[in-house]
Amino acid sequence: MRVSFLTVRKRLFFVLVGGAVAIAILLFRLGFVQFSMGEWLTELAKDSWSRDVPFESERGEILDRNGEILATNISAPSVIAAPKQIENPEQSAAELAVTLGVSEDKAYGWLTKNESLVRLNPEGRKISKEKAKAVRDLDIEGIYIAEDNKRHYPKGTYLSHVLGFAGIDNQGLTGLEQYYDERLKGEAGRVSFFSDAKGQKLQGLADEYEQPEKGEDLRLTIDDRVQTIIERELDIAEATYNPDGALAIAMDPDSGEILGMSSRPDFNPDNFREIPAEVYNQNKPVWSTYEPGSTFKIITLAAALEEEKVDLENDHFNDPGYIEVNGTKLHCWKKGGHGEQTFLEVVQNSCNPGFVALGERLGTDTLFDYIDNFGFGKKTGVDLQGEGTGILFNRENVGPLELATTAFGQGVSVTPLQQVTAVSAAVNGGYLYQPYLAKEWLDPTTGMVKQSTPPKMKQRVISEQTSKEVRHALEYVVAKGTGKGAFVDGYRVGGKTGTAQKAEGGQYLENNHIVSFIGFAPANDPEIVVYTAIDNPKDTLQFGGIVAAPIVGNIIGDSLSAMGVEKQTNQLEKSLDWDDDVLTETPDVTGKNLKELHQAYYPFNIEKEGEGSVVVAQSPEPGEKIKEGGTIRLYLDDKSESSD
Amino acid sequence: MENATRPFDKLLLVSLLCLLTVGMFMVYSASSALGEYVHNDAFYFLKRQLIFAGAGLAAMIAIARIDYWFWKRWSFVILIVCFFFLILVLIPGVGMVRGGARSWIGAGAFSIQPAEFMKLGMIIFLSQYLVRHQKRIPEFKRGMLPVLLLIFLAFALIMLQPDLGTGTVMAGACFVLLFVAGARIKHFFLLGGLGTAGFVGLILSAPYRIQRITSFIDPWSDPLGAGFQIIQSLYAVGPGGLFGLGFGDSRQKFYYLPEPQTDFIFAIIAEEFGFLGAGFVLVLFGVLLWRGVTTAMTAPDMYGALLATGICGVIFLQVLINIGVVTGLFPVTGITLPFLSYGGSSLTLLLAAAGVLLNITRHRTEYH
Repeated sequence: MRVSFLTVRKRLFFVLVGGAVAIAILLFRLGFVQFSMGEWLTELAKDSWSRDVPFESERGEILDRNGEILATNISAPSVIAAPKQIENPEQSAAELAVTLGVSEDKAYGWLTKNESLVRLNPEGRKISKEKAKAVRDLDIEGIYIAEDNKRHYPKGTYLSHVLGFAGIDNQGLTGLEQYYDERLKGEAGRVSFFSDAKGQKLQGLADEYEQPEKGEDLRLTIDDRVQTIIERELDIAEATYNPDGALAIAMDPDSGEILGMSSRPDFNPDNFREIPAEVYNQNKPVWSTYEPGSTFKIITLAAALEEEKVDLENDHFNDPGYIEVNGTKLHCWKKGGHGEQTFLEVVQNSCNPGFVALGERLGTDTLFDYIDNFGFGKKTGVDLQGEGTGILFNRENVGPLELATTAFGQGVSVTPLQQVTAVSAAVNGGYLYQPYLAKEWLDPTTGMVKQSTPPKMKQRVISEQTSKEVRHALEYVVAKGTGKGAFVDGYRVGGKTGTAQKAEGGQYLENNHIVSFIGFAPANDPEIVVYTAIDNPKDTLQFGGIVAAPIVGNIIGDSLSAMGVEKQTNQLEKSLDWDDDVLTETPDVTGKNLKELHQAYYPFNIEKEGEGSVVVAQSPEPGEKIKEGGTIRLYLDDKSESSD
Repeated sequence: MENATRPFDKLLLVSLLCLLTVGMFMVYSASSALGEYVHNDAFYFLKRQLIFAGAGLAAMIAIARIDYWFWKRWSFVILIVCFFFLILVLIPGVGMVRGGARSWIGAGAFSIQPAEFMKLGMIIFLSQYLVRHQKRIPEFKRGMLPVLLLIFLAFALIMLQPDLGTGTVMAGACFVLLFVAGARIKHFFLLGGLGTAGFVGLILSAPYRIQRITSFIDPWSDPLGAGFQIIQSLYAVGPGGLFGLGFGDSRQKFYYLPEPQTDFIFAIIAEEFGFLGAGFVLVLFGVLLWRGVTTAMTAPDMYGALLATGICGVIFLQVLINIGVVTGLFPVTGITLPFLSYGGSSLTLLLAAAGVLLNITRHRTEYH
């Protein structure tokens, strides 16, 4: 027995040691959980205890390139209820119902919902500051006012398709608001209070406040002055022609920056709920695709010049009014044709058979290589949703007929932005840029530039020399040819008309065209490229040169003047048609007296303002062009005073 | 045999009373919110625990005065009674289902868990049996096998409720007893293999046990289901840090941790008193173990030594498993923390067992 008891004691000692080791392990584990895992577990536990009252962040503002505010926020607080903390729901509901203007039942429903936090949707969301103050003055425990705001577009319908709009949760839904939602929306903040598992406030833990972070401000490439001019011109066009739609784009050809963009019908982003979705979803300049018509000839021209297939001044072409390709007669738009012309005149006259000849000289592969290089058939990569790609002939299926029609812009479909981007490359020295709108991101508190987007040159498409010849030819189109409507006195405008038949179900529509014009200026070093298309203008001849060219002329003239581009004197003189007004320089009449004026027989109407007999000022200024029979306004004063 | 002349082991008694006192404060702190919410009385659980502790202490004092050979004499009867109730509790209508197991017998506050009694009954019987058949223990067939069959029978009955935690503690304490009584080590290896196989079998037979195992490995894979209790327990222990949040300042007791005053009371201790407080409790259990094993070593006879060993085994295995669960070392099993957790059945029985232990200390011999 004694020996056996020794064994027992030995084994008991093992048990004691084993127990001590076990306790040590538990202590170690306890320390591990409390120290090593402690911080992590505390964070998780806090998450599980905390109930968040969200504070929506403010969206970043959207500005034009000069700081003009295009999209901003206005304060609109929201009411949030924590039902578990409301002691007397009946009474609180009655008070709240009166203040917010809802039924007592609805208010009672909010305050007794089995949720930790209830948004008072929709009557208690994004309310006026006055209402929010009234709710705060009720001083109900468990009712919180969360700082909130809503999006506001101070310029209304202006730039609406490009800006898009944000919804009630401040989420970007269309346009730039959607495209750059991540950066614009910022980081939501919150107030957290700590609660037990039954929703009561936990004592001893202070509320935590996390400030919302405002979204970054976005400065666009858009120039407010250019955009305003575009909007005005499209308003006038809508009133004049009652078209099915209209659009315009202005671009800086040296960078791909979009200076202005508009689409009709338009809408006011503040009321997007009342607008049909197809109106705000169709940003026509990037979304719509259609046959470009003659504006596309610029590409054919550029390719032929670059490939040295034509000498504009010296090569001649005879247009009998049609050209036969593979047994099919392709007609020129002018009945009877343009007869014998140089190729410069072919461009001026937008002569279809002449361009077919250029296409044939280039051949399918070369022409299509250029079309490809100029960016057609694929997205330009502009920072907007819903960009179209357009349709080109599949190169394998291109026969002589397809080559011929492509050369003058039929049978292909492109987007307006593709055309502007391609023509910019054709006139800027041959550099194809990626068009863009987001110029800079600004820190919302300091206003400092955080990031700026450099222009992105995609590829070189033609040489400097070719580009110069293209500009020269297109300046002729405006001065002497089909684009005379775009002529601007003092600015060397170049451009090309376009008139495309609309197709529906594989059939061309009768008397239903998209008329367009693409222009640029100054022709020696273009600062702006402007494209306008008017869809089915009414009560007019549906020609780009008649409807669209004057609009582009107005936009270019006013925009360049607003941008401070100097006028030039060495422009090509506009050739006169029988119905053109004769322009003459305004004579300098300041300092002359009335007697002298009467003896001079100026071919103008004269309006006099002020008392006196001597001219002290005149409008227009001396040297400006004025129509014969136009009006000159003279400001008169006394000789004695003016000589003081 | 020898005379009951010596006083009780003071350290054993002091550490036990310390644990009991800590338990009272912690049952109050952990249960006040729940008591207020369910019974409109923050002291509801404390009052009841005080009554249980009073009854338990009375039992302890009384039993400490009964010389432990008394249990040797009655061990067979005690075992039979325990088996009787263990079978009785399985009969629907007699046994009551609480928390998914048919473990309770009786009515309302006067209900007991027969498995709790079996833990001690089996110790009392096995100690006697192993002393009587000491020579046969090294043999397998005539020594180990009958004992193993008996343990298995009791374990199987407990698993029919089912109550894996109590069954594991009972069987574990019996194995400690066998080890100390001089069973061959190679038999334990054999048993270890068999036990592992059986454990795996048990786990595979009931899907909820698999869930408990997997959720123990990654509680966050099912945070609202099987992993819920472990996660909530860790949310209490982790934020406790070194000093804890302070007495009464637990957050997890506010309905996050279910029944914080019973199986997860150690989590609340760790939360309110941090590593220092929880570590202090562990040290108290360490002292208890040391004095308990010393009691076994200095017992005047083999029976006393084995009885003390078994009682220490039960207490200490419960401590190990309970704190292992609370700190995420073991899967959730449903074991109370001795002397600290709220619960009448568990507290009074363990105090009574402590009474037996104290009595053995009165008969201790000098041993160095």
